[in-house]
Amino acid sequence: MKFDDIASMVDDCPREGRFSVQRRIFTDPEVFDLEMRHIYEGTWIFLGLASQAPQPHDFFTTWVGRQPVVVMRDADGRLGAFLNTCRHRGAQVCTTAAGNARVHVCKYHSWAYDSSGRNVDVKLSKQGCYAPEFAQRSHDLTRLAHFGEYRGFLFGSVAADVPALEEHLGGARAFLDLVVDQGPQGVELVPGNLSYTYRGNWKLQVENCADTYHLTSAHRSYMSIVERRKSEQAKHRLRMVGSRSWKSDVVRGSFTFGHGHTAIWGVNPEPEIRPLYAQVEELRRRVGERRTDWMLGGRNLTVYPSMQLADSAATLMRVIRPLAVDRTEMRLYCIAPVGEAPDVREYRIRQFEDFFNATGMATPDDNIAYEQCQTGYGAEQAEWQQGYDRGFSALQDGPNDYARELGVEPVTSLVGPFDVGDETVFHAGYREWIRLMRRGFQRTGGGERS
Amino acid sequence: MSDWLQAASELLYREASCLDEQRWDEWIALYEETCEFWVPAWKSEHQLTADPRAELSLVFYRNRAGLEERVERVRSGRSPASSPLPRTHHAITNVRLQARTEDAMTVASGWTVHEYSTRTSQSSVLFGRYEHGLVLRSDGWRIRRKKVVIVNDCLPAAVDFYSF
Repeated sequence: MKFDDIASMVDDCPREGRFSVQRRIFTDPEVFDLEMRHIYEGTWIFLGLASQAPQPHDFFTTWVGRQPVVVMRDADGRLGAFLNTCRHRGAQVCTTAAGNARVHVCKYHSWAYDSSGRNVDVKLSKQGCYAPEFAQRSHDLTRLAHFGEYRGFLFGSVAADVPALEEHLGGARAFLDLVVDQGPQGVELVPGNLSYTYRGNWKLQVENCADTYHLTSAHRSYMSIVERRKSEQAKHRLRMVGSRSWKSDVVRGSFTFGHGHTAIWGVNPEPEIRPLYAQVEELRRRVGERRTDWMLGGRNLTVYPSMQLADSAATLMRVIRPLAVDRTEMRLYCIAPVGEAPDVREYRIRQFEDFFNATGMATPDDNIAYEQCQTGYGAEQAEWQQGYDRGFSALQDGPNDYARELGVEPVTSLVGPFDVGDETVFHAGYREWIRLMRRGFQRTGGGERS
Repeated sequence: MSDWLQAASELLYREASCLDEQRWDEWIALYEETCEFWVPAWKSEHQLTADPRAELSLVFYRNRAGLEERVERVRSGRSPASSPLPRTHHAITNVRLQARTEDAMTVASGWTVHEYSTRTSQSSVLFGRYEHGLVLRSDGWRIRRKKVVIVNDCLPAAVDFYSF
């Protein structure tokens, strides 16, 4: 496959009011292989939160594309990210999700590494009759080419030619700030691991997080339940997002940023249902009236291609890990302000569980819709998708007043009533997709498989 | 002792058949109005979350209204996750009486649920253990507490009350 073949899968002609992608982009294993090399292993990928390894020698394991990674805090408190593979014969060095260890001993031949990734023992090295040159080589764990932190969010890249993390994140930083600043002492993860897989391409998840058009279709059954809870007789009284936020008169907007990041947002007509509202006075004093409104509003951020923050029912962080062209693993996290009152924390947790995860009452409807799409994509003759067109005539280049208020400089802005159901917000991801693919082909001199 | 165990087993098997045969009103009626239904999350390789007020669960309800809502959602036909509904088979094993008083008992068991999607013709399996808190009413035993541990917790795309 040549770059021209890749480029021909995206029809990007905004001046002619046209944008589409070919279904093959979701179904071709060769495209997936290139995506792993040039996108997931070609840009900054989200690794986790610094608070997942708070103490010296704490570690947690994760992935950059197909590559196993361990993030460790060394004796001096410095975080580092390494390929989680022994330099000797390649076995994973850390085999649990998280833990604390001064020394990690590979279980296969006992090579040992400290928490700064340094090799501290090659078993029986003196007796090993190594060539003298062996001692000159580094036996340390391989560091990721880049590792960076933005306000507790950790990112790594196995590719060397990436911009500085802050530059890469660009306008997405403002949306990360709107989460981190919710607590006077920052935010933390609520304990409990959530993960699932779906039989569909990873880009379905990327798109869905910015898709408001599906809410009143795929989640209709959930909306009915939320409505019914308002009746006097209802035994289950949990108040949830959706019933008023998804109405036609509610102002919604979207921004696209450089490097494929996107954000959608909506004014929240019932901010009092949000757990964060319990601390609204403290928030107004600390961050001001307008930022408080932004925090209480609904916001979905995609940090392309691997991480999403959905701040609606509760504050959800998703990590996307593509497994195959038609299979994706998701890890979900519940983010909450440090020091939140226990009753508010419980309210937050119940809201989170109600909506999110494969056991919630909204996420499964998304997941199964993705699976139905993946099956539908088998119909290759219906080549071009028509799901990138809503919003075209409302799209504007650069920032609008909402962007200026937030202090961000998006590539495009759009604002309108909820019913616009903007789809132009998806274009940014595909433009970054093309950019990263092009760069990948350039890096390998076009020497991919034919 | 064996009478108690038999009564408990019969109730567990009946619950399983209600779920597999989609007799959901009968399933709901097995539960007390005020009942705790809890599916904890795992927080490490071998440790479950222990406090649903401060930690994540997969499902946590303090009364059966949550179960009623889920049944209603499936019946609405408007949820892509459950239309068409998968077929399921619940197998209950290792039933043990853990504790009992005159009119209550705690029962532990193991479960396996095979789920078959008519949409994709694919089967999947979840497995784990149950703990049932049962109470004797004038017309028979009722569930007032159920804890479901899902052992293989990297879940498929949609998991609902009939999946475990």
